[in-house]
Amino acid sequence: MNNRLKVLRAERDWSQADLAHALGVSRQTVNALETGRYDPSLPLAFKIARVFGQPIEAIFTED
Amino acid sequence: MNASVDTPRPSLLRKAAVFVLLAGLGGAFGYGVATLTDGAMSRWEDELAVVMAAAMIGVGLITAFMIARRPADVPRGCGVLQVVVMLLAAAMFLLPVFGSAWATPNVVFGAVLLLVVVQSGANLMLWRTADEMLRRVMLETSALAFWAVQLGLFVYAAAERLGLVGTITGWGLIGLLMGIYFIASIIAAARRGLH
Repeated sequence: MNNRLKVLRAERDWSQADLAHALGVSRQTVNALETGRYDPSLPLAFKIARVFGQPIEAIFTED
Repeated sequence: MNASVDTPRPSLLRKAAVFVLLAGLGGAFGYGVATLTDGAMSRWEDELAVVMAAAMIGVGLITAFMIARRPADVPRGCGVLQVVVMLLAAAMFLLPVFGSAWATPNVVFGAVLLLVVVQSGANLMLWRTADEMLRRVMLETSALAFWAVQLGLFVYAAAERLGLVGTITGWGLIGLLMGIYFIASIIAAARRGLH
């Protein structure tokens, strides 16, 4: 799965640690999400969408 | 939210310096362990247990160093628990080898059981505080290790039943299991970019 996490985060000038704190996960998890090494669970995907104020399908797309 | 800071990409020179530093520390640690345990172990099972314990202490210390260098408040306490779990597991492997030099086998066994309870509690707390990716890594480690261990155990058991190989003690088997688990955890963590 592809995602726009890094772009969305950069647009808001947030660090990985900032996003990790907002999501309640580790910085390593944010890094793994951004580099495509980990696909989030549905609850985490919803949380990401809520944090960025966008629908899930605007952030995550299929390969 | 404040200034944007990504995971830094270390330069090749810095990577080489860290590698040399860790190799030096590993060498010094290995030499120290070998000096301290010289003549104390007569069986390969004990040597394997000490190697496993040394590896766990090494990983625990490196994790503690990383936490001190880049502290993170989310998930709260997770990093410290990882260090505690590693160090307690190392103690569990060292006590049966060296404990009888200071106390009777019954006392040592009691201490081992106490450590098992405390370490299991710490492991449970780690599971509860971990975020979903760390839990996934733990699950994948367990699955990979189980698959490798049951495959290896079957091959060994068949060879032993046929009288082709000697019997391995339970102490030897747990050392081998820990070694396989250790390798499985490295593979599972590396797949998620954890190092």
